[in-house]
Amino acid sequence: MQRRTYLQLGLAGLAGGSFLDLLALRQSSASEGTNTKPKSNCILIWMDGGPTHLETFDLKPEAPVEIRGEFRPIETNVSGMRICEHMPKLAKIADKYSIIRSVCHNQANHGAGNHYMMTGAPPRIPVGCGAFVSFHPSLGSVAAYERSAPHGLPSYFSMPSMSRSGGPNFLGAKYAPFVVANDPNKDNFRVRDVELPRELPFERFQSRRDLRKLVDRLPRFEEPQVGDPVTAYDENIQQSYDLVLTPAAQKAFDIHSEPAELREAYGRNSFGQRALMARRLVESGVPFVTLYDGGWDHHSDLFGALKTRLPTWDQTVATLISDLDQRGLLETTMVIALGEFGRTPKISTLSGQAKAGRDHWANAMSILFAGGGSRGGQVIGATDRQGHSAFERVLSPENYVSTVYRKLGIDPSKIYYTASGRPTHLVSDHTPIHELM
Amino acid sequence: MRSRFLSPHPSFKWVFLPGVLFILGRTSTECCATEPTNNNDPNASLVRKFELDIQPILTARGCNSGPCHGKARGQNGFALSLLGFDANMDFEAIVKNSRGRRLSIASPTESLLLTKATGKLPHGGGIRFTEADDDYRLLLQWIEFGVARTTDADPKLLSIHLSPEPHSLVAGQSELLAVTAKYSDGTVRDVTRMCAFQSNEPAVVSIATDGRMQAGNLPGEGTIMARYMGMIATWSTAVPRPETVPAERYVALPRNNFIDELVYNKLATLNILPSEPCSDTQFLRRLFLDAIGRIPSLDEVNRYLRDDEPDKRSRWVTEVLDRPEYADYWANKWADLLRPNPYRVGIKTTYSLDAWIREAFRKNISHDQFTRQLVTAQGSTWRNGAVTIFRDRREPAEITTMVSQLFLGLRMECAKCHQHPFEVYGQADFYGMAAHFARVGYKGTGLSPPISGSEEIVFTKAKGEVRHPLTDKVLPPKTLFGEARETATNEDPRESLADWMTSSDNPYFAQVAVNRLWAEVMGLGIVDPVDDLRATNPASNEALLAALAEHFRKVGFDNKKLLHAIFTSHVYALSSRPNETNASDNRNFSRHYRKRLRAEVLSDALSDITQQDEDFEGMPKGTRAMQLWTVRTNSELLDAFGRPDPNQDPPCERSASATMTQTLHLMNAAHIQRRITADGGRCQALAATSRDSASIIQELYLAIFNRQPEESELKTLETEFAQPNGDRRRLIEDIMWSMVNSPEFLYLD
Repeated sequence: MQRRTYLQLGLAGLAGGSFLDLLALRQSSASEGTNTKPKSNCILIWMDGGPTHLETFDLKPEAPVEIRGEFRPIETNVSGMRICEHMPKLAKIADKYSIIRSVCHNQANHGAGNHYMMTGAPPRIPVGCGAFVSFHPSLGSVAAYERSAPHGLPSYFSMPSMSRSGGPNFLGAKYAPFVVANDPNKDNFRVRDVELPRELPFERFQSRRDLRKLVDRLPRFEEPQVGDPVTAYDENIQQSYDLVLTPAAQKAFDIHSEPAELREAYGRNSFGQRALMARRLVESGVPFVTLYDGGWDHHSDLFGALKTRLPTWDQTVATLISDLDQRGLLETTMVIALGEFGRTPKISTLSGQAKAGRDHWANAMSILFAGGGSRGGQVIGATDRQGHSAFERVLSPENYVSTVYRKLGIDPSKIYYTASGRPTHLVSDHTPIHELM
Repeated sequence: MRSRFLSPHPSFKWVFLPGVLFILGRTSTECCATEPTNNNDPNASLVRKFELDIQPILTARGCNSGPCHGKARGQNGFALSLLGFDANMDFEAIVKNSRGRRLSIASPTESLLLTKATGKLPHGGGIRFTEADDDYRLLLQWIEFGVARTTDADPKLLSIHLSPEPHSLVAGQSELLAVTAKYSDGTVRDVTRMCAFQSNEPAVVSIATDGRMQAGNLPGEGTIMARYMGMIATWSTAVPRPETVPAERYVALPRNNFIDELVYNKLATLNILPSEPCSDTQFLRRLFLDAIGRIPSLDEVNRYLRDDEPDKRSRWVTEVLDRPEYADYWANKWADLLRPNPYRVGIKTTYSLDAWIREAFRKNISHDQFTRQLVTAQGSTWRNGAVTIFRDRREPAEITTMVSQLFLGLRMECAKCHQHPFEVYGQADFYGMAAHFARVGYKGTGLSPPISGSEEIVFTKAKGEVRHPLTDKVLPPKTLFGEARETATNEDPRESLADWMTSSDNPYFAQVAVNRLWAEVMGLGIVDPVDDLRATNPASNEALLAALAEHFRKVGFDNKKLLHAIFTSHVYALSSRPNETNASDNRNFSRHYRKRLRAEVLSDALSDITQQDEDFEGMPKGTRAMQLWTVRTNSELLDAFGRPDPNQDPPCERSASATMTQTLHLMNAAHIQRRITADGGRCQALAATSRDSASIIQELYLAIFNRQPEESELKTLETEFAQPNGDRRRLIEDIMWSMVNSPEFLYLD
């Protein structure tokens, strides 16, 4: 540990009114009342690439043919709330989730859009489409920083990879997502590092533990003012043993114990089984799980691709919501599905492509928002007749992110300090979407 | 200009006296005490002036601070310049914007500015002052007397001064600091109430908003900063250990070179004694890991232990520094600082920069040459890797922040958009500096992320200018301080910038370089963070920093020679075990500070220990982690232990913190388990020999902890070998696992 850390940790109480305190002068009326609702966990389904709103949750059947596309809307179990015909299972449970149709922004490339929607902050400088950037901590990293998980479980998981801009930025490596790359749809699925190596019998791990006690003779300097970094290491070792040896923690990773029918219901594919893993993790107390779900950048072959993809996606997401609901977990678990932006209302065929698609469009997008104590069956906001732009109840990414923070039990008006002491608002506009609160 | 660098006192003792006062201010380096007086008090008049009387209130009450109206987009439509650096903007915002609704000239007490601040109307920022406060009275008078601004006839703020004179404090002591401001008409005001204070070590000495200092209960040092309208004054103090140490104790300490003397001098002011020396093998392990980033081999430890010729350590330092691993290790560190995002600049360009850095360290080119070649780089991105930084940072402002932070330790990022809150530099300084890069030209194909595969040529254009973002005036190239030589018409202004940066009149260049090297080796900079040199972030040992910088200049900016001096000092080889005097010392190097092995070092050490290389995708077999040229190379271990992510901004932060992901990885990772147990690995080979258990245990200790086992350790493990029905190979593997999962391996003690 470095001296500043030690001083902050051990002796912060002595700090008087410093300049940074002055900067930290907070708007006293900022937090609008105290939230008495229990803290919710979050499963974020990140549809990377920018899912089309016009083929999922915001269809425009009355628009001209070059806009409305091939898919038709169907009725749901909530009167007037219509979604795409290729999502029949979600149509049956529309009372369990809401659709936000009016979040929009101005960052229509992947790098910037990812950053904005994943962190609630637009990138500080213009970035390119291919950029994997981070100027601000992600929702998941902030959740990990503010909340913790029991039994030594990591508090922020990302499967099968970290999403762009899903990192901790100035919060530090400790709050990076714990990435589970392995495929839970495989019979030999294991979560790396948190379980003993496959070929290592439990007794052998025990004897290694005993041996470690014999060889670990490095002196420890216990006085806190010494700032011996080995102290933190010892705590981590202890927590790691807990995680490896606590059945309750290990159970979170044991997808094989799920009944076959339920695994079928989620869909026997990687995405489906990751959603099931996500449910197991939040059930064990993990506050934030990101399911990275790539490939929604349909510049071409939009209809062909979605005709096969939407039904399986629909099955997984509908099962996840219903499963959580049946277990009584939906009330304290958010399930959110979105990408970085929507797609152009006008169907286009890029040069060199045979099949039509839609391109990037940040003026409109749709977000599915379920659980976490929010009321289902709502359609929040609307786009114009042709799906060009949000025009009713126009909302910003900041509003959306603030909603998630509030439900996680985190005050979005909080001010963090970067390593260089610069004050940074967690979210610049901390107004949540009141319909969901 | 900072007085401390212009006139270093000839005697180190003076510098070491706790409580040295530095006055900052562009026009004044005065540091004599001036008692607050009331003569010619401008308060006598009731006409308040915006710049002189009103802006200080907005700053002192936090109105224009970063989290409130001072942030770029303001707060609820009311935007002020951060900490009041732009008086015109603030005046407009208050008096004219929103159709002048913030002031009511007809009924001044009804002005929004007052009703909001006193909480009469709902105010997001709460109540900032009441009608009984002086601030209220001053603001009201300003409105009543016609919202006056200063004119050329008005006095100008020249300097601020902290009193009493700096001195050391005893634990628990409390004292009031006063800040006086001096004006061009000779008047002096007490502005204590209007200052922002900050302590850099609140645990040692804290400061309240009214200027009351409070020393903590632990010995240490702290600097108080006071800021008033862009002026900064600092007050450095120390709280020494109450028990004094007899002077002869310091005289008796071993001194190998100038470093030791200067460290001891400092310790003496705090009544702290250095720890005992570390063991010989500890020294060797440190030397290998700090100089070339790998652990010593079995043979090297044995050879070192047998060496009893004179000058042993000095010879070994020279030998280790001359090893080929030196280049990869230090290039790896510099790549952290220089490497752009390959998705942005292109893979080939990134590779070309990596090759350039490695070549520079292979040749051990001097630091001034290294700097000059980067700052003035020209040519193709595919042939001269140094130009990569210009391909990445295409605007003069972008390259300026990088160059000034890396090579001068001056963080200019703030000054790009507003007056630096802890610094004297403003936008004019920043863009004057940036103007040196105004003529950097580009030919070929620019960036086209995410591939950016093309070649680009960086050259010096005939023309190019930089404008001040507020005034839009064209700014000629101007160095931050001192005099740079004139640039000839056909000369690249970057050449004169490089001359100025590396000249012996520029104290920052050598200081930030030695500070960085020192921090890499000693675990902490003399200035921390390493690249943030400013009076408000003082060095823990000014004299040491100055002497190291002087030495660095004397040896021609040769990194290896400077490292040799550090490695052969007595201070480098102190034990990490605290003694009865230095437990709370965390910045004066009275003991060795433990540090965790960095990711690449750890990865390579595991290869050496298991004798099973890690496989890196797309790299030839046997490639060491230290040789990777991009952080895109997959490695769970490197990710867990932290490597800079070029997608992050800032990109070069490496976290030294310990996380559970790391301990879990060492404990359970499949690849580590496989390498420990692999056929052809060290464990299998050892098990296959006929060597007795003592010799096997010895090898494991030498290979992993880089020392001989102690007698008791040997005995303990021999007992394990003697178990009936024991599996010898399995036991060896388990011991290796246990040692790899011990802090003695993971930390440099």
